[in-house]
Amino acid sequence: MNWRKLRTFLITVLLLSIIPATRYYQIDVPLLRLLRGSRSVDPLLLHLSGEFVENNLGTQQERDGSVTVRMIALQYLFIPHCILVPAGVPVHLRITSADAVHSLVFNDADYTVKVLPGTISQAELQFPRAGEYKTACREFCGAGHYAMRSELKVVPRAEFPALQPGERGNCAAQ
Amino acid sequence: MQRNSRSSSSGWIVAWIAAAILLASSLILAASDSAPDHIPSLVAWTPDTIAIASSGDAFRGLLLAKRCDHCHGAEGFSSTPSTPNLAGINKLAIWKQLEDFRTRKRLSHAMDPIAASLSPRDEADVVAYFSKLPVFTDPQDNRAFPEPRPEPAHAAIASRLVSFGDGERGIPPCQACHGPVAYRPGVPSLATQNTGYVLNQLEAFANRTRANDINEPMRTIAALLTEDERHALAEYYGSGLGLEPGGATGPK
Repeated sequence: MNWRKLRTFLITVLLLSIIPATRYYQIDVPLLRLLRGSRSVDPLLLHLSGEFVENNLGTQQERDGSVTVRMIALQYLFIPHCILVPAGVPVHLRITSADAVHSLVFNDADYTVKVLPGTISQAELQFPRAGEYKTACREFCGAGHYAMRSELKVVPRAEFPALQPGERGNCAAQ
Repeated sequence: MQRNSRSSSSGWIVAWIAAAILLASSLILAASDSAPDHIPSLVAWTPDTIAIASSGDAFRGLLLAKRCDHCHGAEGFSSTPSTPNLAGINKLAIWKQLEDFRTRKRLSHAMDPIAASLSPRDEADVVAYFSKLPVFTDPQDNRAFPEPRPEPAHAAIASRLVSFGDGERGIPPCQACHGPVAYRPGVPSLATQNTGYVLNQLEAFANRTRANDINEPMRTIAALLTEDERHALAEYYGSGLGLEPGGATGPK
């Protein structure tokens, strides 16, 4: 008797749990946002406030000698268009998308970073030698996808400009 | 009595939480080392913004647009090269520029006072009117395209950039955003624009004297283009090549 009651209860719970499981946007998405915390951004509002405002993009010097690079991928550009980093130091890459799904690859280096709108993709990179890397988008993102390429310049640590706090470096044509 | 004490204690809790939030936010502000944010434009293409920008009444816009005739032309085709053609330009594109003039994110001696005098409803109405004006589809029509056709070498450079961009340098094709292949919210169609305006704006983006493009795509692209390519693109659009069936793919 008790067993049958328990069984009925379990079946009811199972059936009821199907209902929230179909409500992906009402339940799962807000939950994921909450769990992800600071790693969630609104792709439409990047330029207004937060980490990806335009004067915060580029290379930032950290106190421990490493650098943080912040980028935006949008149809069909990586901003900033040319990234400048010193050789042999840890590079913390933080990138987000303003529209579609992109994927940042560094040719000649085995790095691929998937870029999704609404999330900040993080990657820990390190480039041992100075040189120029071609970067490209490897996820079809629209009509201009094949021209979505940019550059990453790795310079010897001595040649990397001394950045003031609040100053961000890049090598894009001004 | 009991109620009162309970509500006052919950009031204290709210006050403590508020104080904690204030303290935390001030700590975060103090910890950040960045300069004040440069915000290119206050417009963000949320569904609400798009609804406001496209809700205009074209007839009311017609009455308001009488004062635009002097520079932008009675039919939306301007007679002066530094002033853009507005006929048939999509609503969101004109609306964003009016908004940016009004909030002084884009600076223009002529447009700043005019945009400042418009109410949000006026803006939407004027925009609705201009977007409904007919576009001259005949490139031989001199009212819309007073420019002569560019020399073949220039036309070839431009049509290559418009249709394919330059992958080596990371320049996307113009037509992927400015039409006719695809558009993005707030991006104007260029096929009926005049030479002088396109050239001025490309140069302003390259020098960063115009900086109201969201996430700086145009500042980046204009800086990658050479002087010659900017001229070629301006001539291409101004002479109506963008409207010709073969114009997009270039001369054979």
